[in-house]
Amino acid sequence: MHVPDGFVSPRISLPALAACAPLWAWAARRHLGHASVESLPVVGTLTALAFVIQTLVIPVPGGTSTHLVGVMLLALLFHPLLAFLCESLVLLVQALFFGAGGVTVLGVNALAMGLLGPLAGWLAWKALRRPSEKVALFAAGWLSTQVSTAAVLGALLLQHRLDPGYLPTPPAVLVTAMGVPSLAVTGVVEGLYTVFALSLVRKARLRGVDD
Amino acid sequence: MASTTDPRADRRLLVAWAAGIFALSALRDLRTLGVAALIALLLFRRGAGRSLLRAARAVLPVTAGLSLASIAFHRLATGTWPPAGPWAALALRAGLIGFATFSVLDRVDLLRALAPYPTPSRLLVVTLAQIHALRLVATESRDGLTSRLPRRPGARVLVRNAGGITAGLFTLAARNARDVGDAMRSRGF
Repeated sequence: MHVPDGFVSPRISLPALAACAPLWAWAARRHLGHASVESLPVVGTLTALAFVIQTLVIPVPGGTSTHLVGVMLLALLFHPLLAFLCESLVLLVQALFFGAGGVTVLGVNALAMGLLGPLAGWLAWKALRRPSEKVALFAAGWLSTQVSTAAVLGALLLQHRLDPGYLPTPPAVLVTAMGVPSLAVTGVVEGLYTVFALSLVRKARLRGVDD
Repeated sequence: MASTTDPRADRRLLVAWAAGIFALSALRDLRTLGVAALIALLLFRRGAGRSLLRAARAVLPVTAGLSLASIAFHRLATGTWPPAGPWAALALRAGLIGFATFSVLDRVDLLRALAPYPTPSRLLVVTLAQIHALRLVATESRDGLTSRLPRRPGARVLVRNAGGITAGLFTLAARNARDVGDAMRSRGF
């Protein structure tokens, strides 16, 4: 789902970074500013947790595979702003140490995967949790994937529209390559995972294992 | 590869790299990208083979897949082959940014460069250490599941198992966060 380095020009990547900067500052002040001895280990371990969840690969029909995102889970368990901060750090670690995504596209990916997707899922969960908690959790996981994918797709389509010579991939190919797997597979997997994982995390909390 | 010995030189190199990759991401002309690639190869000739290989592994699957799909789509839609220049420029730009990134990160000690900024450097140390610890647990859990089943587990079993792994990792992460906090306090942070 990442936008890789070199796929969007500074005309998109710099405004995305500019949009992220105040959000990062706000999130850092809120979660790392006061009593950082208390909060820094929590942010660090949750970032590591999100990173490791993203390494869990699920095989899907057709011989290919998808991986989990897990940021939605952090947004549901804590707050979308903390999920945004952790996902931004995950993207930075992936870009610097594992060659995935990239630093020039950090803003685009953080907005898409760290903010817009989890925020949409969190709002869906808030709206649907009264009638059915499980449906709300599935909807949150599914919707967060669709919104993240749509945001990444939007950035790539905008780049193609601004300069087709820079990103020559036709919109039909971009939409098919990203939209179909997201709608058919990745969203469903993320939705199911959110239901299973959150219920088990809550059971673990009820048993008091994380006290 | 050994990094420079001066933390200020590390920081200067990081700043130059950040500016450089944004400048590279603005290039679209194949000839200019070719010149930039030659300059990058000259600047980072030590360890260039390793960085090229890492960049190719990171970049080629996505760029090649999208390019082939797009070329096939263009051929089917118009009956003609599209010009190769923009595809080559896309692959070269993505590969060049990857090459510059891996080359610079091989030469820089990130933790030493971040030393004057205690919060980011502590956050990076905690995150990397916890990634290592949690990854081991996740791998063991996944291997345990595979060894217990007579056949390769299907997607549904793996998703359910991923939920279980997450609950375990979450519990461990909460404990680790408390332990790290205690360790920091005991050292006077």
